[in-house]
Amino acid sequence: MARLEISSVSKAFGATRPADGLSLAVEPGEIVAVFGPSGSGKTVLLRMIAGMFEPDSGDITVGGRSIVGAPPERRGIGMAFQNFALFPHMTARDNIASGLRASGSDVANRVAAISKLLKIEHVLGHAPRELSNGQKQRTALARALIGNPDVLLLDDPLRNVDAKLRYEMRLELPNLLRRGTAAVLYVTQDYREAMAIADRIAVLIDGRLVQVATPADIYAQPASVAIARLFGDPTINLAEVSPVAEHGMLTTDVAGARMRLGAADGLAFPGACWLGVRPEDLVVSSASADDAIPARILAITPMHEKAVLLLRLADGTEWLAALPPDAPQGVADDSVFVRFAPDAAMLFDRATGLRIGQTHRLKAA
Amino acid sequence: MEHSSLAGRIFRGIALTLILIFFMFPIVWIFMMSFQNNDQILRIPPRILFEPTLANYEALISGQLRTAAGSLQMPFMRNLFNSVVLSSAAVLLALLLGVPAAYAFARFKFRLGETIAFTLLSFRFAPPLLVLLPLSLYYQELGLSDTYFGIVWVYQLIALPLILWIVRGYFEDISPDIEHAYRLAGHSWREAFTRIAVPLAGPGIAAAGLLSFIFCWNNFVFALILASADKQPVTVGALAFVTASGIQYGQIAAAIVLSVTPTLLLALYAQRYLVEGLSLGAVKG
Amino acid sequence: MSMVQSLPTNAQAAPAKPRPRVRLLPYLLSLPALLICVAILVPFVTAAVYSLQRYRLNLPYLRGFIGAGNYIDFLSDPAFWNTFQVSITYTVLTVVVELLLGLGIALLLRRPTRFHNAVSIMLLLPLMTAPAIAALMWKLMTNPSFGILSYMVSLFGVTDFKWASDPSSALFTVVLVDVWVYTPFIMILLLAGLRSLPRQPFEAAALDGVPASFVFFRITLPMLAPYIITASLFRLLDSIQQFDIIYAMTQGGPGDRLMVFQVQAYLEFFQYTNVGRSAALLMILWLITNILSNIFIKNWLRLRERAHGHA
Repeated sequence: MARLEISSVSKAFGATRPADGLSLAVEPGEIVAVFGPSGSGKTVLLRMIAGMFEPDSGDITVGGRSIVGAPPERRGIGMAFQNFALFPHMTARDNIASGLRASGSDVANRVAAISKLLKIEHVLGHAPRELSNGQKQRTALARALIGNPDVLLLDDPLRNVDAKLRYEMRLELPNLLRRGTAAVLYVTQDYREAMAIADRIAVLIDGRLVQVATPADIYAQPASVAIARLFGDPTINLAEVSPVAEHGMLTTDVAGARMRLGAADGLAFPGACWLGVRPEDLVVSSASADDAIPARILAITPMHEKAVLLLRLADGTEWLAALPPDAPQGVADDSVFVRFAPDAAMLFDRATGLRIGQTHRLKAA
Repeated sequence: MEHSSLAGRIFRGIALTLILIFFMFPIVWIFMMSFQNNDQILRIPPRILFEPTLANYEALISGQLRTAAGSLQMPFMRNLFNSVVLSSAAVLLALLLGVPAAYAFARFKFRLGETIAFTLLSFRFAPPLLVLLPLSLYYQELGLSDTYFGIVWVYQLIALPLILWIVRGYFEDISPDIEHAYRLAGHSWREAFTRIAVPLAGPGIAAAGLLSFIFCWNNFVFALILASADKQPVTVGALAFVTASGIQYGQIAAAIVLSVTPTLLLALYAQRYLVEGLSLGAVKG
Repeated sequence: MSMVQSLPTNAQAAPAKPRPRVRLLPYLLSLPALLICVAILVPFVTAAVYSLQRYRLNLPYLRGFIGAGNYIDFLSDPAFWNTFQVSITYTVLTVVVELLLGLGIALLLRRPTRFHNAVSIMLLLPLMTAPAIAALMWKLMTNPSFGILSYMVSLFGVTDFKWASDPSSALFTVVLVDVWVYTPFIMILLLAGLRSLPRQPFEAAALDGVPASFVFFRITLPMLAPYIITASLFRLLDSIQQFDIIYAMTQGGPGDRLMVFQVQAYLEFFQYTNVGRSAALLMILWLITNILSNIFIKNWLRLRERAHGHA
């Protein structure tokens, strides 16, 4: 039982700063996904924790004890690599057993137990080159898990496995990782993977943690327009607006329609903003209304759990709407009207990209 | 290109035959000569078919060579022994010192490492006598000349740079993550080096070792300058056969055969490694 | 201790925690390689100092600094200019013949059939023969009384062809031995180069019916150029320093016909015990090879990088 705590860790390689004052705590038994676009510094963070290189400043502690400067083998860390990093000259069994310093029947029992859990008992005698990518990743996971490490680092472990397996593992992994009491850091570039697996998501952009929150909070209340665009498929709809306060309510003009954006929250005039509305929060109907934006359907893409409509608003902006598959969708070229509930609207400062309104509350959390 | 004309194929056939004759004939002829007595060798025209004799090899092994003027002491077996001892010891030492250094050069990017690697590469092409002649004077003062110990150290000038450059390339090809994974599993860097890096670079280490063994064995000038008769390897020893007058030609040929056989067998055994090693990794670092 | 002095110490202690153990490790591991460098550099510097001295082993009391004296003497010394000329001639002849022959063989063996691979392995054998021993083999083959080569030329009516013992044919003979030993080296490098060339340009040329000579001069040769340059520079550097073959064959003779740099330097040292002159001669050779090898190393590192980039 040990807490992983990263305090104001910075690292620079020449002009690039893959870590710029990172602070994050992971509780024992908790899974935190580190999510961000490629090159944002996710792997550098993991490697500093694993001891492949040291931070320029800041501290990393496990169970209150600093591990900065300690050799990797004494940090109590298990790690699964994106490229598996199996030992090519050892069998799967020896690969897994390498994580245990002991020898004898105890090792055999523990290897058997962990490989049963990961469903690779039948390939234990194989060399890594004889394994499928899925089996390789399971072997690598078994190797990382078997020593019951205090901290478990997973570096985009599902990146190199096929889609079907990735789906299965997404369901399997949370249970597997919660078996022990390890503090788990899970790096991924796939927001769905992060949302499916993690208790909390830490969003890393350009070496800074821009938001750390539960998956639901990040989706519903992204701290900035950049985060809002990283989560969600189809991506969030945006429009340039300049809202004003009316009777305690913010309203704005969107493509000729007067839209209500929720409580003004004491903001009289927020200035130039991005309005963001999730595609699934749009309601598309053929009936006109005061608070409905006139639009034209450009294309309809049916997907198995939803239908995605590409719309052109009256002012030329293109938006996407995601509708339940059984909802009436219309056909291409139909004129329609688009609405959204006031509390579905998100406002972002156009200069800073930060969320307006609830943002200050979230940042405090 | 794949379907060439008949004339083209005949030309290729003839060209390849001539090439094979030019490059193989000397070896075959000396080999045959080593099984002939003086009369058979001096016969004109020479014969392809002859009754082979082992007398030349027997004479070499006993160390008593027959000459026109009678018997002559020539401890050629001693030369052969020296070659084996000097080359093996030199390569073992070079592997012991060179493999960890190559690992350091490959894994830790540090300026001294680059400087050393570059200096060794530069001196790969410097005239050997430039270093050897002053060294021979130092060796005399230090009492190292004409000792196995001293000669083995000088052979490091051949073996060590070769091992450093070849093995370094192989270490660079191993993903560092594999070693990181082993260390995170609770092993020290020394264990990661001996149980992960060295086994995985095994083919490269073998290639470098074989190649430097051959180069040490084939070396002539180092021992010519630093070793007296009882420490000389075959390359220098065989030369004495030619300069000493009246030794039967078959015995010279037998000495040549014994001198080249070990390296030629090694070359055939390890040919696929040699091509890479020969170019110092020029084609595939 | 005043408060002011203790302040900076506190500030420094806070953030960074260095890892001296690991930083030291690479230096520790490369210590033997460093020693070898020293073992090369010390004699090298010594040689450079000797080259500026009047230093004869048999006349130690004459030893003294004479600046560039040894070098200046060379300028008016026909023996030096003979050495220079013989070395250059030997180098140019061997490299040109070996390059042409090696390229030809590599082209013949280009397709990786089992027979071609077997031939290329057999051609490794001369290269793996000690050059000094190879010289002895050819010495036996060119022996006037029983040498097979002497017999063969006699079949063509040349009865007293003396090979390495005759000043007019000595150079030809040692070049022949050098070609026998080292052509396979060029062949192997170029074969590896040829086989690593991309196929598309050749397939495109074949589809367009481009003549073979055009393909060779405009596609094959330019693409092979880095390998050709590397291989020739390798040989150039070895050839200009050739010692084993020439010393084992004729010890620089007949007369001074084959007196190349290193053989001359060896004789200056051991026969005439003139250390200063010997060192100066070797320094000049080193200067030549250093200029060539700098060109070579740059080229080779670039090739190596490119090979890595492709992989």
